[in-house]
Amino acid sequence: MRRPSTLTAYAFLYLVFLYLPVLFLPLFSFNSGTIVAFPIKGWTLDWYRKLGEQDTLIQALWNSLGVGTVVALLSTAMGLFAARAFVRYRFRGQRAAEGLVMLPLVIPGIIVASSMLVLFLFIGLKPSLLTVVLGHTFLALPFSVSILKSAFDDFDASLEEASYDLGVGVFDTFRRVTLPVVSPGIVASLLVTFTVSFDEFVLAFFLSGNQPTLPVYIWSQIRFPAKLPNVLALGSILLLSSVLLLVLAEYFRRRSSASGVQ
Amino acid sequence: MTEKNIIELRGVEKRYGTFLAASGIDLDLKEGEFFSLLGPSGCGKTTVLRMIAGFQEPTKGTVLIDGQDMDGVPANNRPTNMVFQSYAIFPHLNVGNNVAYGLRGKAPKAEIDQRVAEALEMVELGGLEDRGASELSGGQRQRVALARALIMRPKVLLLDEPLSALDKKLREQMQFEMRNLQQSLGITFVMVTHDQYEAMTMSDRIGVMFNGRLKQVDTPTTLYARPCDQQVASFIGEMNILPAQLLEENGDTLSIDAKAFGQMEIEKNPNVATSARDMNIGIRPEQLEITSEKPEDYPSTVQGKVSNVAFYGENIHYHIQVAETDKPISVSVPNYFHTVDFNRGDAVWLGVQSASVIDLGTDTE
Repeated sequence: MRRPSTLTAYAFLYLVFLYLPVLFLPLFSFNSGTIVAFPIKGWTLDWYRKLGEQDTLIQALWNSLGVGTVVALLSTAMGLFAARAFVRYRFRGQRAAEGLVMLPLVIPGIIVASSMLVLFLFIGLKPSLLTVVLGHTFLALPFSVSILKSAFDDFDASLEEASYDLGVGVFDTFRRVTLPVVSPGIVASLLVTFTVSFDEFVLAFFLSGNQPTLPVYIWSQIRFPAKLPNVLALGSILLLSSVLLLVLAEYFRRRSSASGVQ
Repeated sequence: MTEKNIIELRGVEKRYGTFLAASGIDLDLKEGEFFSLLGPSGCGKTTVLRMIAGFQEPTKGTVLIDGQDMDGVPANNRPTNMVFQSYAIFPHLNVGNNVAYGLRGKAPKAEIDQRVAEALEMVELGGLEDRGASELSGGQRQRVALARALIMRPKVLLLDEPLSALDKKLREQMQFEMRNLQQSLGITFVMVTHDQYEAMTMSDRIGVMFNGRLKQVDTPTTLYARPCDQQVASFIGEMNILPAQLLEENGDTLSIDAKAFGQMEIEKNPNVATSARDMNIGIRPEQLEITSEKPEDYPSTVQGKVSNVAFYGENIHYHIQVAETDKPISVSVPNYFHTVDFNRGDAVWLGVQSASVIDLGTDTE
């Protein structure tokens, strides 16, 4: 091994700068004092215990879980067809189509959020969980398309041909060969898109009306200093579950790559 | 093999944009024959196979299988099955379910199980039903792919470079096994390959393709002895191609001046399209005699110098530079007594019988 260089030191400092603030969140969630500052007064699990007693919080959690689930299913289903088309076929306007699908990654969220709100109001759709689902699906689609595209990239096209050749039609081939072979990619896409939706704030803030999702609820609670430790506890749980979901998703994504290798 | 045509291609053409992948393909394949499409990569042989399988539609012409026009018939409704170059073993299914794949829902379970067992027995994988797809070796994958296709009892089995993924020893063993399998089943096999030895050892007939065109269709021995032109001659085995002049044509005999080897009478090659005054002749390296003294029992001889020696084990290849030709002449001698008789720089004589000299006609291209 090489001895640590200035570059290593830089990388270390960079990571500390990036993740230390995030680590303060769980640290202070165990602090018995209500002020978020050192020194820590004492250790407690009270803030976690109190989470279960707050009905509006539980309602917001259910809202988020529901929206996340529907968004994951919708964007993964659409991403599946889009990804297969992008990898398998060459068609006119393909690059433009691929670019347009990926666009939500780079458009500022505030622009998307405000223009969607205007659009939905214009067509008479009141802000609700439904509009949040629509907005989040738009946002999550690039994630599911790119994950599933890599799943299809590793998928030997002659597997589908072999199935046709053995007398099985297009629909049954999709069900009996395509879906099972890309299923790890599908699971990865479901997990990632769920997480994207679950953590999203700006669109949800604009489009949720009086049905807040969890991040919107948290934002509303930050105004009350007494509630802050509570929010920290909730945030820590969200942080942990998001990381777990993404690790799980990455595991499945790699498994989908590995299964394609002959 | 019967005289009945199982596959007929009539004026088949496949065009991708401006690129002509295959054109003017007319081909009759007999029931029960082992036929190979041979050619360099990109010559259109796989395109022809895929048009028979139904993965591609011809731009022009007709494909008939067992007398039925296949126009508009998708791959899943054709009486053909295919062994893919990558073998395309379904990674999420075990061996038994891979082989049973095409029968699921079309036969009772007990019958499927029995047919799977028989098919696996046939490819010498008996009892491996529960083996996972990822636990198979290259040779086993190939056998599973064969069993999976043959269990469908196709009229024609299509094989796309079936042996190219295997190592040399296994490839040679599978050549014999596949040939035996084909003969015991009596099914027509159509194989695509770029390996001339593979094609020659396994096939009843071979179709040689270049640049999207079918150049010659013949038995391996005829292809080797009477190739239709220089291109085919040098693709099938090794061939010394020498310039010659046509002096006189007498029925089936040509009187020629073979430059280096002098004047001789050779048999006219019926597969050659045109013969003009300037023509080419071909001599196989193993049909030349190499000696240190002028060989008495050979009517045509030439003197030269050894420019290269290559020891192959079962035979020895010499390159002989002669005054009359630009390229050295290749000679192959069997290794009879574990000796290499000539070295670089040695003066030698080459002799040939006129019966070994092949008329290659005049290339118009």
